[in-house]
Amino acid sequence: MLAIPPLAAETIFYIGSFPVTNSYINSTIVVIGFIIFAFIINAAIKKYYPLKKAPKGILNFFEGVLEFLLGYIDNVTKDRKKTIRFLPLVGSLFLFILVSNWMGLLPGIGSIGITEMVNGHAEFIPIFRPANTDLNMTLSMAVLAVTASHFLGIVTIGFFKYANKFIKFGDLYQAIKSMKPVNILTAVIEFFVGLIEIVSEVAKMVSLSLRLLGNIFAGEVLLTVLAGLIPFLIPLPFMALELLVGFIQAVVFSMLALVYLTMATAETHGHAETGHDESFAEAEENQTPAV
Amino acid sequence: MIIDIHQISQLLIPIAHAAEEAANTESSGGALATLGVNWKLFIAQLVNFGIILAVLWKFVFIPVAKQLTERTEKIEKSLSDADRITKEKDEFTKWREAEISKTKAQAATIVAAAESEANKAKQQIAEQTKQEQDKIIRQAKDLIESEKQKAVRDIKSEVAEMVTAATEKILRQKLDNKTDKELIKESLKSI
Repeated sequence: MLAIPPLAAETIFYIGSFPVTNSYINSTIVVIGFIIFAFIINAAIKKYYPLKKAPKGILNFFEGVLEFLLGYIDNVTKDRKKTIRFLPLVGSLFLFILVSNWMGLLPGIGSIGITEMVNGHAEFIPIFRPANTDLNMTLSMAVLAVTASHFLGIVTIGFFKYANKFIKFGDLYQAIKSMKPVNILTAVIEFFVGLIEIVSEVAKMVSLSLRLLGNIFAGEVLLTVLAGLIPFLIPLPFMALELLVGFIQAVVFSMLALVYLTMATAETHGHAETGHDESFAEAEENQTPAV
Repeated sequence: MIIDIHQISQLLIPIAHAAEEAANTESSGGALATLGVNWKLFIAQLVNFGIILAVLWKFVFIPVAKQLTERTEKIEKSLSDADRITKEKDEFTKWREAEISKTKAQAATIVAAAESEANKAKQQIAEQTKQEQDKIIRQAKDLIESEKQKAVRDIKSEVAEMVTAATEKILRQKLDNKTDKELIKESLKSI
């Protein structure tokens, strides 16, 4: 009997009234892994940096990764200071999504489980499930990224200037003062475009979270179905594809978060860029194999 | 490998069941519930990601990025320093060579001047020496001449006295005083 994973993460047990789901278990494991990683890196930093020695081993490797990330972020921000400012959020998003996506491919994730009686028939519930196949996880990251972009936008260019991107009373007032009908008409249209921008901010969160959830969940389902049909050799190329998808989704999510951050902290209005960046995301998705 | 109808139906039936279940949950709890959104889990996952963000921010990204930036600056500074030092070295080498050639030229002129000076001095000394030599020779010649004349004079007077004495001795007894004097005068004249 094949067990197709349901869209919602399954609850394994309760702590008080808090439902501990299999995705939450996975994300907690990743958190613990990252804490250990941070300790190792920090120990290496304390060992190598004060001595002005060239770093070796894991720190050297991580410096390489960071150099790669900084280069990519520089391409978008065009400013090293901004890059360093956005690096922690963008880098954490990238590393966390990448690691939890790839962790989902390990044997045992999705196959070790317990059998429970649900609605009168036995149902298999895996204990581990990739963290990003839970909308709670992806949505919380998307909300955090978009909220951070608004927060940084307000801090960088000031509350009223930032608010004027969405509720364009300022532009409307300027247009009415100039007494030119064309200007007033444009400003009225712009005003409504600004209101639509508010909707697009919600759309950003929805699209970020659902894109990641959809890709990773679909991969998980595909692998489960394939493993159920033909368990040997045939799933291998699909697993390789999932490696690629996991990486691409990590890049897409963090890059879009970075673009939102950059746009929010830019002085000028960004309608044209918005369209462009969305099309960039679409292009990225088109490169993703259909799964 | 042939997948028969039975296998396919085995695959499709649970999917149908799952879809039915999903439809049931959707009618009872809404779209968000179907997707498994639960505010407790949402907060929990947010906290999980927040921990990762905070830990990586504090202990990994900022220190390493700072170090990388410092290192980049250091390398750029070293490179520009190296460029500057090379340029300065080239300039110094040029300056040194110019200075050396200048010094060489100066030394050559000094040597030439000294040589001509020395030649002049040599010639002068030689001339002086010759002049002095001549003078000494002349003086010596003069002295010899005067000595000779004096000697001749002395010899003449001595000879005259000796002759006088001899003649006196011989003639003493025979001549008287008067003839004696005249004889002396005679003999003196003949000398």
